[in-house]
Amino acid sequence: MMGTELNKRWILTNSQQRDNGSQLLALTAFQDERIVAHWLLPDGQCRENAIAVTAGAFPSLTPVLPQVSWDEREIHDLFGYIPNGHPDLRPLVRTPRWPDAFYPLRSKFEQPIPWLDVEPDNGDQRVTGEGVTIMKVGPTHAGVIESGHFVFSIMGENILHLDLHLFQNHRGVEGHLEGRRLAEVAPLVSRICGADTVSHQVNWASAVEKLAGHTIDQPLAWRRVALLESERILSHLNDLAQIPAGVGFHVAHQQALAMKEKWQRGMHSLFGHRLLFDTVGPGTAAFFDPDALGRLIHDVRRDWQSWRALVLGHHGFQDRMLGVGIVRQADAARLGAQGVVARASGLSFDARSVMPLYQEWKVKPAGEVSGDVAARFKVRLEEVETSWRLLQDVIFEVAKMPLPSFWQPPEDLAGDAVAYTESPHGLNAHVVSLKNGQVVRYHVRSGTFRNWPLLTKAVTGNAVGDFPLINKSFELCYSCSDR
Amino acid sequence: MSRAMKSLQLRHLDAGSCNGCEQELTALTSRYYDLQQYGIDLVASPRHADALVVTGPVTDTMKKPLEKVWQAVPESKWLVALGDCAAGCGVFQEAYASHGGVAKPDLVIAGCPPRPQDILDKLNQFRLGQG
Ligand code: SF4
Repeated sequence: MMGTELNKRWILTNSQQRDNGSQLLALTAFQDERIVAHWLLPDGQCRENAIAVTAGAFPSLTPVLPQVSWDEREIHDLFGYIPNGHPDLRPLVRTPRWPDAFYPLRSKFEQPIPWLDVEPDNGDQRVTGEGVTIMKVGPTHAGVIESGHFVFSIMGENILHLDLHLFQNHRGVEGHLEGRRLAEVAPLVSRICGADTVSHQVNWASAVEKLAGHTIDQPLAWRRVALLESERILSHLNDLAQIPAGVGFHVAHQQALAMKEKWQRGMHSLFGHRLLFDTVGPGTAAFFDPDALGRLIHDVRRDWQSWRALVLGHHGFQDRMLGVGIVRQADAARLGAQGVVARASGLSFDARSVMPLYQEWKVKPAGEVSGDVAARFKVRLEEVETSWRLLQDVIFEVAKMPLPSFWQPPEDLAGDAVAYTESPHGLNAHVVSLKNGQVVRYHVRSGTFRNWPLLTKAVTGNAVGDFPLINKSFELCYSCSDR
Repeated sequence: MSRAMKSLQLRHLDAGSCNGCEQELTALTSRYYDLQQYGIDLVASPRHADALVVTGPVTDTMKKPLEKVWQAVPESKWLVALGDCAAGCGVFQEAYASHGGVAKPDLVIAGCPPRPQDILDKLNQFRLGQG
C-alpha cells in the first residue's frame, strides 16, 4: 500500500474503533519509529493498530479523535516525531530549559543534561479584548497540593478560558523505567502516583503474567480485587473530603479526613502500608486477614453512614454543588473522559465490567447525567457503597479459600503487552515492552491525563471563585499525568 | 540563632512528588494529629513561613520556582526535606528530569512516605531545637 493509503487507513480504523464504543487505552510511540494505538473493545478484547513514523512524522489523529491531542503533543515533545495535521502543537511537557535536540525517549543522551539557564514557562493562550483580566495561579500553591500552573482569562467574575500548563511534576518516569530488570520495576511503578498506586501495580503484574502466559489462581485474584477496592475507598474518601472543603463546609471535611485516617491505619495494619505501596507484584499480592478487614469495614462504615446523612441532608452544601462546573456529555465523549468524570456526565463505562479480574463480581457502573459537581460527588458516594459490598463479598470468599500460590516470572521474559485497570481516577493503562528480562519501553496512560482537558470545559462560564470547588470535584492527580 | 521556637510556620512546595507525601502532610490537619495544638501550621505564603517543606525529587521544571519561593521566605529560615524523594534517596532521584532532591536541608524526614506521626514528631523536635 502507498503511504497515503496507510495514513488514511490509520485515521479511518481508529475513528471506527471509537465509533463502535471502544475505549482508547493508549497511543504509544516507540524508539523504532512506530506509533501504536491500543483499544479496549466493548467485549473486553484488546485490539491494536500501528503505523510507521516516516521521515520523522506520522498522521495526526487529533482532528478526528480530539482526545489524543495531548498524547500526540507528548510524543512530539519526548520523541520529536511530528503528528502531521495536529491543530495545536505547543509544547506540553517540554520547557524552554530543554536543550534543542533533547528527546529523552527517542535515544540515549549524555548525563547530566545541559539544561538551559532560563525560566521554564511556555507561552500561554489568553483571551484578549477590553475588560479581560489575566489571572495566573501556580505553579506553587498556597495549600498542600501538587504543582501546576493555570492561566485564567476572566471577565468580571467569569472564567472565559483556562489554559493549563502542567507537567511541573515530570520526573522522567518512563525513561527511568527503561533498562530496568524485572525485579526493579515494581517499586518504581508503585510510586508513579500515591492515589492510584494499586491500580498501577496490578497493571505491571498483569502485563508480566500475560507475557509469561501465567494465569493467577482465584485466591490471588480475589486478594487483588480486595486491594483495588480498598484503594478505591481510600482515594474516594480523600476526594470526598476535599469537595466540602471547597465550599467551607469544614465539619464534613474534617469528618471525612478522620474516616480516611481510620481507613489508612487499617490499611497499614492489614497490608503493611498506609497508602498500599508495594502490595502487588508479578505473581504476588499482599496477604491479609479477611476477618480483620471485615471489622475495619464495619467500624468505618458506621462513621460513613452518619457522614453520608450529614452531607446529603445539608441543603446549603447540596445547593452549592448544583449546576456548577458542568461537563457536557458531548464534550466528555469527544475528549475521552474517564472514571468519575465520565460517569457523572452520562457515559456509563467502568473498566471493572470487562476486567477478567472482576468476572465474578458483575460491577454495574455508577451513573449520573447532570455532569456538575453534585453529580461527581454522588457518583463517588455510590461507588464507595459498591466497594463496601464488593469487599464484603471478597472477604467472605477469601476466608473459605486456601492460600494463594505465588509465582516468579522467568528472568529472560520478552514481548509486548498492554494491561489496564479501573483506578479510582478512571481507566489506567500500561503498555509494556520487554526484551531479555529488561524493560525497553514502558508507557503509562492514566485516567487523569484524559480528564485534565475536561476541567477546562467544566470551568468555562463559571465564577472564578468556584474554581477550587470544581477542581476538587475532579481531584486529578498531577503525578499520574506528569510522570 | 537558637532554633527553640514557640511556633513553626511551614510553607509546602511540591517539587515532583507522587502525592503520597502530600497526603500524609495533609493528614496532620485532621483531628487525629491536629498539628496546630503544637504551634505548628501550614501557611499560604512563603513570606509568612519559618520553614519551607519540600516534597519530591526536584524536577527540572520546579527547580526555578523552588529557588524563588525559597528566596521569598524571610531570614532566619529552614529547609525541610519531606520524604525520601526530597531527601535524595528516593526511587526517582536519577530519572532524567529529576535533580535528586533538595540541597542541604536543615531537617530530613525520611520515609516513603513518612508516617504522619513521624512527621509531627520530627517537626516538633525541630521546633524545640532538638532536631
Ligand atoms: S518519598 Fe515516596 S511518597 Fe514521598 S513523593 Fe517520593 S515516592 Fe512519593
